[in-house]
Amino acid sequence: MTGLLDNLLNGVALGSVYALIALGFVTIFKASGVLSFAHGSLLLLGGYLVAVLHDDLGFAGALALAVVVTALVAGALDRLVLQRVGTDSHAAHVQTIVTIGIDILLVTDLARRIGGDLLTLGDPWGDSVTDLGPVTVADSRIAAIVVSAVAIAGAFALFRFTPWGLSLRAAAEDAEAAALMGVRLTRVRAIAWCLAGGLAALAAVFLVAFPAPGLERTTGQIALKAFPAAILGGMASPVGALVGSMLIGLTEALVAGYQSDLHVLGEGFGDVAPYAVMVLVLLVRPTGLFAARGAARV
Amino acid sequence: MSDVLTSVLRRRGWTLLLALLLFALPFYLDAFWLRIGLFSMAAAIGAVGIGLLSGTAGQLSLGHAFFLAVGAYGYVWLAGEPGPGLPPALAVLLAVLLAGAAGGLFSPVAGRVKGIYLGVATLALVFLGHHVLLTADSVTGGFNGRSVPPLELGGFSFTEADPGLTVLGVPFGAEERLWYLGLALFALTWFTARGLLRGRPGRALVALRDSETAASVMGVHVAKYRSAAFVVSSMYAGLAGVLLALSFRRVVPDYFSLALSVDYLAMIVIGGLGSVAGATAGAVFVTGLPLLMTRYADQLPLVATPGSGDGSIGPTEAARYLYGAAIVVILLYAPDGLHGLARRTRARLRRRPPVTVPSETGPAPGTSATTARAKEHTP
Amino acid sequence: MTTRTTTPPALHVRDVTVRFAGLTALDDVSFTVAPGTLHAVIGPNGAGKSTCFNVLSGLYRPARGSVRLGDEELTRLAPHRIAALGVARTFQNIVTTQGTVADNLMLGRHVLSRSGFAASALRLPRALREQREHLAAARGIAELTGLGEHFETPVALLSYGDRKRVELARALCLEPRVLLLDEPVAGMNAAERARTAEVVRDIRAELGLSVVLVEHDMGLVMRLADEVTVLDFGKAIAHGTPDEVRGDPEVLRAYLGTETTGEDAA
Repeated sequence: MTGLLDNLLNGVALGSVYALIALGFVTIFKASGVLSFAHGSLLLLGGYLVAVLHDDLGFAGALALAVVVTALVAGALDRLVLQRVGTDSHAAHVQTIVTIGIDILLVTDLARRIGGDLLTLGDPWGDSVTDLGPVTVADSRIAAIVVSAVAIAGAFALFRFTPWGLSLRAAAEDAEAAALMGVRLTRVRAIAWCLAGGLAALAAVFLVAFPAPGLERTTGQIALKAFPAAILGGMASPVGALVGSMLIGLTEALVAGYQSDLHVLGEGFGDVAPYAVMVLVLLVRPTGLFAARGAARV
Repeated sequence: MSDVLTSVLRRRGWTLLLALLLFALPFYLDAFWLRIGLFSMAAAIGAVGIGLLSGTAGQLSLGHAFFLAVGAYGYVWLAGEPGPGLPPALAVLLAVLLAGAAGGLFSPVAGRVKGIYLGVATLALVFLGHHVLLTADSVTGGFNGRSVPPLELGGFSFTEADPGLTVLGVPFGAEERLWYLGLALFALTWFTARGLLRGRPGRALVALRDSETAASVMGVHVAKYRSAAFVVSSMYAGLAGVLLALSFRRVVPDYFSLALSVDYLAMIVIGGLGSVAGATAGAVFVTGLPLLMTRYADQLPLVATPGSGDGSIGPTEAARYLYGAAIVVILLYAPDGLHGLARRTRARLRRRPPVTVPSETGPAPGTSATTARAKEHTP
Repeated sequence: MTTRTTTPPALHVRDVTVRFAGLTALDDVSFTVAPGTLHAVIGPNGAGKSTCFNVLSGLYRPARGSVRLGDEELTRLAPHRIAALGVARTFQNIVTTQGTVADNLMLGRHVLSRSGFAASALRLPRALREQREHLAAARGIAELTGLGEHFETPVALLSYGDRKRVELARALCLEPRVLLLDEPVAGMNAAERARTAEVVRDIRAELGLSVVLVEHDMGLVMRLADEVTVLDFGKAIAHGTPDEVRGDPEVLRAYLGTETTGEDAA
């Protein structure tokens, strides 16, 4: 029983971190129709910045600066590179491929700097744990859940209550009409990228915190697991992304937790289980769980 | 009419010349260059396949590494021990069919998920595939992989077999022999892919990319053609995987990573989407670049020789920088890639005004006519 | 190569209703296109004309009602199956694909040809022969529609009017029994309109197919149509010959009353 509770808690912690990333995907997608394959590199950038800055600035300062810098880099990438392709719907596809090029560049550079090392981020939780009734939880996981919840609530507040949020929804509904009504699409989407970048940097901290060993050159690839989460949620729905993330997080934690019973699937199947879930869902609903269904048949 | 005839002759003439050149190269180049050529040919076969899927049909795939792995491991298992130990030539054929079958198994997804979404869905193939390669060690050899049984065709072995073979004074080792195999397989790829593109299936796929609505009302079975493009592309990948396995002589799971899938995507973007020649050019560029940089690292500014201290830019990294940048720059400034550049240069050389056709500048995967898109949802 | 020379079966549209998220785009619409006639569907913008076409070509599945071509029920069929039955259409906004006029017209021959992936990849003699034959047929249709000289020209280089005609020619390449034309002369100048009208008249005379025409150009409708159905807010408010419809008070109020000449309401 405690085993199950442990696993569920792990799943929720993991899911909330994925939610940070998936929310970024979805925000970018809503604003511009682009699937950001550069997210892994943004996450790696955020983590790397915390790793190199925390000695001088302390963890909180380093994290704050990393979030801001990553957000600005993301916004700049959109404004200075992606938006040059154009902003119509054809361009969104080209921009998606451009993000792959950007990802190669950023990851190559960061991986070169990180080399074969494992970097620590100097987070205050370390490997300490807290007893919560029957279960013992790593503090890093509690922090992940709490901070993610706050950040996600903040993001939803932005969607809901700011002029930008309104513009974002208008742009996602009908970009052309929104532009005619005075929405500055270039700014709306640049801010979306900033938000996504900041969230990715935040996620990086919790992805490499205990019990993970630290920041590696391959850490960025974890961001790709938020893709299944976003796809499950239907790509354009923030709430869907949250649900998808929890689903993915729980799947991964449960599969990893019950690995000994699932040994036919092989060691480490938890890591790839999210993708298996994605394929299964796409088989049943090719447009994801939360996508609107139109009258169109093709 | 005679205009058409001479232009055809001229084009054929170039092809003939190029074929002759490729045929003669093993007599002049050493093993290093032949290996670059060999890897490029293998990559070109795979790139043509993904070009057909992503460039022509507009379906993004990041799962190509998986199908390369199916081809490579399929051959190794079918022709080797443990495994049925089939005659290698038969194993090649079956490995290609196996890759096609694997693509077919994914077709419920590949037929219904479109454009860039398929790119995300195919991520699953790479990660799940990699997991299987590591786990199913009785077939795949696990983390350390398996050695590749040599190909033999009617008693002729594509290795440094005894007795050695010398042609016109040049000793024919594995590279020289495999070169001609690669050339033959590449010629087959070129021939079939061009046939497909210029025939009925190619037109249906282009239509599907440009406007799903128009294609379907013209009678194209959307899901069927999407699946078929995926299967065909998987078969080319499988063939590329076999040739790669034969060239490497050992297959390991870590080679077939997401980075490899991205390499193949880079090839077709750099080469120019939707053309066989472009995919080939891109394949040579992406494959050759890191190998050349490694070889000439000591003569290149800013590039350190492999293995020197941290923080310096090694040749592989330098190559990745270059082609990452190439993707961005090409999509920003020359969306039709090397193929389009070549076409424009040719046009300029003939002192004609360069023909720039807006819709001919290789649209990206998933492109569809916006007019049709808008149409689909308006009541 | 197959050619459909028999007279087309009648197209029966019965009680078709289409809803989009609460909005009723078509409400119990019924009409019949008699074999070999030109049936115009007119109405103000947003009356449901294009929705009607999308139902006929299988792009929308109606909430209720049936569309029958002879004995075949179309509402249950996917668009490519409907195309295979000989129903071809054009689009209001041009939807051509990359490549030359020939490439686009050859797409129209898709359902009439067989060659699959294997035959085309291996360039089997029968695939090459089929390609040659259909190319000849496509060239013939290009001549018929006045696109002969542009046969090898990339579509993107053509004028607006020519591109619209490419769509028409592509639909004709299907050798349809029923041709659906969605505003074939919208955005064209007077000369181009006259030319397209002539083409439509010619192909009807020559090929004996049924045509369903959505058009704002009332002059064109009145000249060409055998019968007219008027839609307003998703309802069919009148049927009849052009003369009958022209005199119908309901129609005048809904449509013509606001626009006496009816010249291109867009």
